Amino acid sequence: MDYTNYTNKEMQAVTIAKTIEDGQIVIVGTGLPLIGASLAKRIFSPNAILILESGLMDCDPLEVPTSVGDNRLMAHCAVQWPNYMFVGFETNEWLHDGDRMIAFIGGAQIDAYGNVNSTSIGDYHKPITRLTGSGGANGICTFVNTVIMMQHEKRRFMEKIDYITSPGWGDGPDGRAKMGLPADRGPLAVVTDKGMMKFDEKTKKMYLAGYYETSSIEEIIENTGFEIDCSRAELIKPPTPEVIRMIREEIDPGQAFIKVPK
Amino acid sequence: MRGDILDKLMSMEEAIRKFVKDGDHISFGGFTTNRKPYAAVHEIMRQGQKDFVVEAGPAGGDWDMLIGEGRVKVYNNCYTANSGYSNVSRRFRDAIENGKMLFEDYSQDSMMLMLHAAMLGLPFLPVRMMLGSDLEKVWGISEEDRKNLDKVPNKKLVVMDNPFNPGEKVCCLPVPQLDTAIIHVQKASPDGTVSIEGDEFHDVDIAVAARKTIVTCETVVSNEEIRKNPERNSIPGFVVDAVVHVPYGAHPAQCYNYYDYDREMLMEYDTASKTDESFKEFVNKWIYSTKNHDEYIDNIGAKRLLDLKVVPGYGYAVDKI
Repeated sequence: MDYTNYTNKEMQAVTIAKTIEDGQIVIVGTGLPLIGASLAKRIFSPNAILILESGLMDCDPLEVPTSVGDNRLMAHCAVQWPNYMFVGFETNEWLHDGDRMIAFIGGAQIDAYGNVNSTSIGDYHKPITRLTGSGGANGICTFVNTVIMMQHEKRRFMEKIDYITSPGWGDGPDGRAKMGLPADRGPLAVVTDKGMMKFDEKTKKMYLAGYYETSSIEEIIENTGFEIDCSRAELIKPPTPEVIRMIREEIDPGQAFIKVPK
Repeated sequence: MRGDILDKLMSMEEAIRKFVKDGDHISFGGFTTNRKPYAAVHEIMRQGQKDFVVEAGPAGGDWDMLIGEGRVKVYNNCYTANSGYSNVSRRFRDAIENGKMLFEDYSQDSMMLMLHAAMLGLPFLPVRMMLGSDLEKVWGISEEDRKNLDKVPNKKLVVMDNPFNPGEKVCCLPVPQLDTAIIHVQKASPDGTVSIEGDEFHDVDIAVAARKTIVTCETVVSNEEIRKNPERNSIPGFVVDAVVHVPYGAHPAQCYNYYDYDREMLMEYDTASKTDESFKEFVNKWIYSTKNHDEYIDNIGAKRLLDLKVVPGYGYAVDKI
């Protein structure tokens, strides 16, 4: 089997996995975050603890689940909390401590300050496209440091997004404080199929931190709808064949979320 | 078991007819594709109740079908998807994109706390989320329109200063007063005592909060039997108005310790729900052409249902060798 022909999506999953620090409590959703977190648990951060907004705590699924409330998670977790207890835990985390948690969210649109839309495209009352809505994302973004996953397209990386479902850094350095949100946390990074963006410590504006072998700085500029600083961009090393083998053979063998190239 | 003075066992037809009315403020248990009370949803579809004011929570095909059938008047929502199959439920999408339904968005955390607050009997609920987002600023239903809507609070929310810590903003949410809750569980006894296996989600909250509670179950056990393990029970019988025995009553959703989701059906629904015409064909084929859940289950077929049985230890079904 060839495990050197990795795809952008696999690269995205591996990049997600590497943002998790060992021992961190990770709020995951299904799809790429779960693939990334499972990979982290197996290779990069074996002591990561996976929790889900459905209330399932410390999960270690055998087979890839399709929902955050899936029996695949429920049967292989430490505690089955009702949802409201998860919400309380997440909220109290803000009052107690800073950085032992990290969370992944996705969205359809994002602006330069990491504010995310997962509610609707166009006018809210009569949208061109209606999406799922917040789910747990708004609460997560209120209280926890986040990594945001996106498809890297110009129509998604926008100067002004249509609806703010999950606030990032607001409109700049004091944006979160003005909104009444904890100011000492927010989005840490955006991981796409083309690269990784981070937020400038002073301005809280997105900058390009890394690109893949399979993408380029030019391609990222072309697919970003706002001006982005690329002066700090570095090439992110490609995954080893062993990491790709693990994704394909152990974590998502049914190709539920990551298709293997033919 | 029949004839007991506390016997709440009844047919689905009777339970839905007695306890689900037009215009009810209503909520279902379960989570997207897990323990959703589908058999009850099917019976509501057959009987025709409508104009619901809904607290949807983590919804899936359950509410998507009732939306597709035009039964929902106000949809308080946070997430509607058969995740992994329909990543945004399609009749829900259609109803909002084409202005067919009144709706309001909250975050899921907020909705879960609102339902928990309903169980606690709180007059309103201060939370720390939604602040600064469009969930706070943009309202689906205006204050003006709210005046003419029964069972809809006068405001979506109120942002105010924390009275105990002036200068700190809090988001105050209305607490729903539910008429009806419907949950599907693993075990219940004729007197209404409920034992939920696996995560309870928000089921206990809505069951306790609602004026009328219908419990549908996989297995009926005797009142004596269910009392042998009170530590496993989460709802006392006096909270419950009807107990309905419907094996596979969450199909095509999952039911912990019993069966997995029916991928084939979830995929069929994903395709069917793309247009109004194919959606109508789907509900005619599976629901309106059947008199009750027994006929529905017969049409699904014994082999297909047996293939969904979970493997103890795995918690899900695997293909037979």
